[in-house]
Amino acid sequence: MMSAAPVISIDDVYKTFKRRVHALRGVSMRVHEGEIFGLLGPNGAGKSTLVKIIMTVIRANRLSGTVLGHSVGHKPTLSRVGYLPEHHRFPKHLKAGQVLDYLAGLSGVPRRVRKKRIDEMLELVGMTDWKRHRVGEFSKGMQQRIGIAQALMNDPRLLLLDEPTDGVDPVGRREIRDLLIRLREQGRTIFINSHLLSELEMVCDRVSIMVKGRVAMEGTIEALTSDSQRYEIHVEGKIAGDMAPGATSVESVGVDLTKITMPTAKATDVQPLLDKLRQSGTTIHRVMPVRESLEDLFIRAIETTGEGSGTPGAVTGKGGDA
Amino acid sequence: MIAVMAILVESYRSLKAQKLFKTVLVLSLLVIIGFASFGFNEKGMSLFFGAYTIESEFLNSESEYSKTLYLGIFSAFIVNLWLAWVATILALISTSSIFPTFLSEGAVEMVMSKSVRRTTLFLSKYIGGLLFVILQVSVFCVGAFLVAGWRVGEWNVTIFLAIPLVTIFFSYLFCVNVLFGVLTRSTLVALLFTLLFWFMTFGVRQADDILHIVWFQGEVMAVHYEQELEEDVQNLATYKSTLESMKEGENTESGLDYYSGQIKRTESNMEYLQNEVDERRRLMSQLDPWVTTLNIIRWPLPETSRTIGLLQRWIDQGRDVTMVDIMSGKIFEEDEQVDDEVFRSDQEAQKKLIGREQEISAGAIIGWSLLFEFVILVLAWWVFVRRDY
Repeated sequence: MMSAAPVISIDDVYKTFKRRVHALRGVSMRVHEGEIFGLLGPNGAGKSTLVKIIMTVIRANRLSGTVLGHSVGHKPTLSRVGYLPEHHRFPKHLKAGQVLDYLAGLSGVPRRVRKKRIDEMLELVGMTDWKRHRVGEFSKGMQQRIGIAQALMNDPRLLLLDEPTDGVDPVGRREIRDLLIRLREQGRTIFINSHLLSELEMVCDRVSIMVKGRVAMEGTIEALTSDSQRYEIHVEGKIAGDMAPGATSVESVGVDLTKITMPTAKATDVQPLLDKLRQSGTTIHRVMPVRESLEDLFIRAIETTGEGSGTPGAVTGKGGDA
Repeated sequence: MIAVMAILVESYRSLKAQKLFKTVLVLSLLVIIGFASFGFNEKGMSLFFGAYTIESEFLNSESEYSKTLYLGIFSAFIVNLWLAWVATILALISTSSIFPTFLSEGAVEMVMSKSVRRTTLFLSKYIGGLLFVILQVSVFCVGAFLVAGWRVGEWNVTIFLAIPLVTIFFSYLFCVNVLFGVLTRSTLVALLFTLLFWFMTFGVRQADDILHIVWFQGEVMAVHYEQELEEDVQNLATYKSTLESMKEGENTESGLDYYSGQIKRTESNMEYLQNEVDERRRLMSQLDPWVTTLNIIRWPLPETSRTIGLLQRWIDQGRDVTMVDIMSGKIFEEDEQVDDEVFRSDQEAQKKLIGREQEISAGAIIGWSLLFEFVILVLAWWVFVRRDY
């Protein structure tokens, strides 16, 4: 699936806003073709700033990199990029079909093509019946669907979605998830910025966790959580520690259950212990492989960098490196 | 080009959705109906579609003056008062939100992230804002053209020059509106500063006109008194030589007394005239620094009133009798000398002021004002394209 040249390749992105707010402090990132890439981070980590820089809404203080093979800021390249901003607002006087027509026009999509794609995109996001209704009348979830539709109007190779499921009900979220998977299957690259970790975990091939304007972790979820992979064996009764050589912990859980934790991802590594337990007549209640969730990973990244939950990530002060 | 069209279409849809746009159109229609209700018949001027007639031997359907008056009412009153004041204020209220809304959070990311350049976005949106006036004035001019043709048989296409003129006039104000809209992203602030700017230019222009009238009056009076003084100098010389010759001859006492009296009166009058001349010249020299100051203040400002005034100038072009002649009553009376010096000097001053206005070419008026607009737009554009959103 992955090609040699990344779809997004950026290095050393720095951005300092007024009053010495250091939003980005040397961000480097690669997003490969055909993958769904998730960008995570606490509030103020600089995620939206990074997306806005890629989309030329904000200018970086320092930056080197490319989007679809062209320098970041190359406007014509954006005609092959779809973007859904967070908290977006459409002109209220326009109808759903007119919104798509207007925004696709700004991307340079010819009128004839726009006319055809409006119906296709509205159908894709389940809004066909609302084509002739003003977007000012729409709920947040409906506006979000129109937002996704407009991002797809120019048939983009790269799609950047900032909180795409914001305000969408569970059924809608599932539909959006399925849509993203379908788009990936079509070979499109999808870059998602979201707070909903469980949503991302279900669809993302790779993630990047940003904290305080820097990338704290980046990779596939499997690779990032490989260190935390383990087997948990629940047995009946209490057992002594020497009964489980190689276990990181043997602890009592519940009235008559003991949990043995083995730090391994391989099932074969657990077999000797299971044999030993059976030989000793211990009843094995449950054996299961366990791995860190994306939420655990997220918390670990924040704790590792000393960033408290909910603390603004942007750093102010005189000694910035931007 | 696709992006530009998309913005213009969106601008049109935005205008169409505004109640104010429709309200102004309806009001314009009422003004045109009001214009149409006025006309001429054989007896004189007819009002309210012929319900009343004001009899006049000069202004009736047979008179050429009626056509001048009819078009003059359009250019001097309807365009000047309705289009250049009321409709412009309504247009500013309506268009002030264009840039602040465009740049509001959530909306600006959507457009700035597109492949269209910021400069193209800026210019297209600016032209989109002018659409309000272009559409309104176009509809209005078509109405006025048809009404003038129907009522006085004057199918004058010069009426359509109101479209570019009013649009250009509005653009002088709209560029200021855009600058403050881009700087503050606030509709209210943009509107407030535009109105303040407009009233300031209007105030400066009025002050300049009043000052020039006073200056011209002073000049006319000073020249008049100087001429009288010159006559008195000649008279005095005559009186004196006559008196001398009478003294040498055998003349009566009464003759000598007469010329002595005339010399005294003339000398006294000369003293009065010299004082008047000195007084006028002193007043003019006192006004000079103010005239210069106002010229400096006025120098960079756009010529709002003069731009609108061009329509009257062009409509009057080639006519024997102009709207000014009708309004001043010149057509109703024979040329007669008015004895009242103050009244005469006032008329002369008005003529000089009109002459001064006529001397300024249309190119200078519009060109200079467009230069101002260009500078303001460059500033607004600079902020627009350089800002982080």
